[in-house]
Amino acid sequence: MTRTTRILMGAAYWAFVVYVFVPLILMVMMGFKDSRFIGFPINEWTLRWYGEVLRDAEMMGAIGYSAVIAVLATAASLFVGTWIAVLLARGGFWGRPVILGLTLLPALIPGIISAIAFRIYARQLGIEPGMGAIVWAHAVHNVPFVALVVGARLSTLPGSHVEAARDLGADPLVAFMRVTLPYLGPALMGAGVFCLLLSFDDFVRSYFLGGYEPTLPVLIFALLRSGMSPEINAVSTVVLVLTAVLGLWAERSMRRMDGGGR
Amino acid sequence: MADTTIPGGRADPDRPGLWGALLASGPYRAASALLLASPRRQFWLLAIPPILWLLTQHLGPMLQMLYVSFVDAFPVPPGVEPSFTLENYGRFFAEPVFWTPFLRTLAFSAGLAAVTLMLTYPVAYFLARHVGRRHRLAFLLVLLIPFWVGEIVRTYAIMILLGNNGAVNLVLRWLGLIEMPIPFMYTGFSVSVGIVYLTSLYMLLPLYSALEKLPPSYAEAAADLGAGPLTRFFKVTLPLTLEGVASGCTLVFLISTGYYATPVLLGGPSSTVFAETIAGFFHNAGDEWPTGAAFALLMFLAALVVSGVFNRLMRMLQGTRR
Repeated sequence: MTRTTRILMGAAYWAFVVYVFVPLILMVMMGFKDSRFIGFPINEWTLRWYGEVLRDAEMMGAIGYSAVIAVLATAASLFVGTWIAVLLARGGFWGRPVILGLTLLPALIPGIISAIAFRIYARQLGIEPGMGAIVWAHAVHNVPFVALVVGARLSTLPGSHVEAARDLGADPLVAFMRVTLPYLGPALMGAGVFCLLLSFDDFVRSYFLGGYEPTLPVLIFALLRSGMSPEINAVSTVVLVLTAVLGLWAERSMRRMDGGGR
Repeated sequence: MADTTIPGGRADPDRPGLWGALLASGPYRAASALLLASPRRQFWLLAIPPILWLLTQHLGPMLQMLYVSFVDAFPVPPGVEPSFTLENYGRFFAEPVFWTPFLRTLAFSAGLAAVTLMLTYPVAYFLARHVGRRHRLAFLLVLLIPFWVGEIVRTYAIMILLGNNGAVNLVLRWLGLIEMPIPFMYTGFSVSVGIVYLTSLYMLLPLYSALEKLPPSYAEAAADLGAGPLTRFFKVTLPLTLEGVASGCTLVFLISTGYYATPVLLGGPSSTVFAETIAGFFHNAGDEWPTGAAFALLMFLAALVVSGVFNRLMRMLQGTRR
C-alpha cells in the first residue's frame, strides 16, 4: 500500500515539475525560432533575436534602468531591514509585537493595493513619478524580507560574542560594526540577492509609480499588449537565466550559514 | 624595512586602527557621551529611527489612503478645504459594474486557493515523506527556480502555452481530440491557469514545513491499529497539517486578489477582476483617486475578513479533532 502511494505521490511531484517548467521551456524555445510567428512548428533555429535585443536601445535602456533601481532599492532595504532586525532581536520590550506586525505589513498587502497606496502617498509627499518613487516603493516593499532573513541569522549569534567585544573596550556601535555585521554577512548577501530579484522583476509598483521611462517588466507589459514578439522571448530568457543563477548562488550562501553558524 | 607583521594581526599594535581612531576622535566621543551614555539612551537611539520608518513608510501609505478615501477630491486644490464624504464608498454599492468584478475576484481567489491546495498537497507530501533527507533540498530547489522569475515573464510563458498555436492546442490536435484550436486565452480559464502558476509555491512551502514537522510514526501507529490509507490521511495526516493548509490558503488567497498584470494580459472582458477596476480610477486625471482609494480599501478589508473567518474555521476544526 505504501508502495502505491509512493508511486502516486512521485508521479504528482514529477507532473508538477513538468507543469512548472514546460511554459518556461516553450518560451525559451520560441526565442530561438527563426520566424516572427510565435507558435509551433519550429522549422529553423536562430540567435538573431538576441542580436535584435542588443541593438534595441529602448530594451537595453529598460534593462539598465531596472538594474539601477534594483541596486538602489536593495541598498536602502538592507540598511533599514537590518536596523529593524537588530531592534527586534532585543526581545522582551514593550510594543515589540506591534513593531513586528508593522515590519511585516508591506509584505502582506496585495500587490495592486500596495501600489495604489504608494502612489497616493507619493503624490501627497510631492514625489514625482519616476525613478525615485519606484526605488522608494521597492525599498519599503522589500524591508520585511530583509528583516526576516537577517533576524533569523541574528537569533543564532551567541550573545557572548558581543559581550566579549564590549569587555575589550568596543562601544555598542563598534561592537556592531566589527562583530555583529561580519556575522550577518551571508544573510545580508542572501537577502540582498532576493531583494535585487524582487525589485528587478516587480511590475505593479513600477507601473503605478513610474514616469515616462519604463522598467523592463513595464516595457514587456506594454509590448505584450500590442502582441507577442520573439525579442520578448529572448530578453525574458536572459532574465530567466540570470535569475536562476543569482537565486541558486544566494540559496547556497544562505545554506552555508545555516550549517556553519551554530 | 623588514616586514614584521604577524599574518592576520594588526600591523602596528601601538597605532590605533580605524576603529580605535574613531573611538578616540573628539566629535565621536562627544556624540557618544550624549547618545550612548546609558543603556536607556542606547535603546532609544536603536529604536527611534526604525519606529519612525515603520510609522511613516509602512503605516503611512495605508493611513493616507484611508484619509483620501473619505475626501471629495484628491489632490486637494490649493486654498480649498477638503470636505469629507462617504460617496466614494457609496459608488461601489450603487453600480453592478463595480461589485461584479469584486465578487468575481473574491470567488476566483478562494477557488484558486482550493485548486492550488489540491495540486500541491501531494507534491509537499512526496517531498516530506518519500524523498531522503540528502536529496530533499535538490528536489525542492528544482521547484523554487521558476518561482524566482517575475510575474510578467511567467505570464508571458502562459500566453505561449495556451495560445491558439500554443503547445496545449498543438498536443490536443496531434492526439486527434480536436479539429479547431480551443480558444483558451482571454477567458477566466487562462487567468486561473496564470494565477495558479504564479502562486503555487506560496501553498507548497507552508504545506511542506507542516508535513515535515509531523512524525511518520503517527500514521504508522494508525496503520498498526488497522486504519487504511484514506482513513490515515483524513483522520491523522490532514488534521495535523491543518495549520499549513490554513497559512498556505491565506497566502494564496491574499496574493491572488492583488494581481493586476496577469488578468490584464490573460483575461478578457468576461473575466475583469477588481484590480483592473481599481486601476481604472488612476489612469484618468486626478479627481477619481478618492474612489480608487475607497475601492482598494474595500478589497483589502474583504480579503482580510475572508481570511480571518477562514482561519477561525480552521482553528475550530483543529480544536474539535483533538
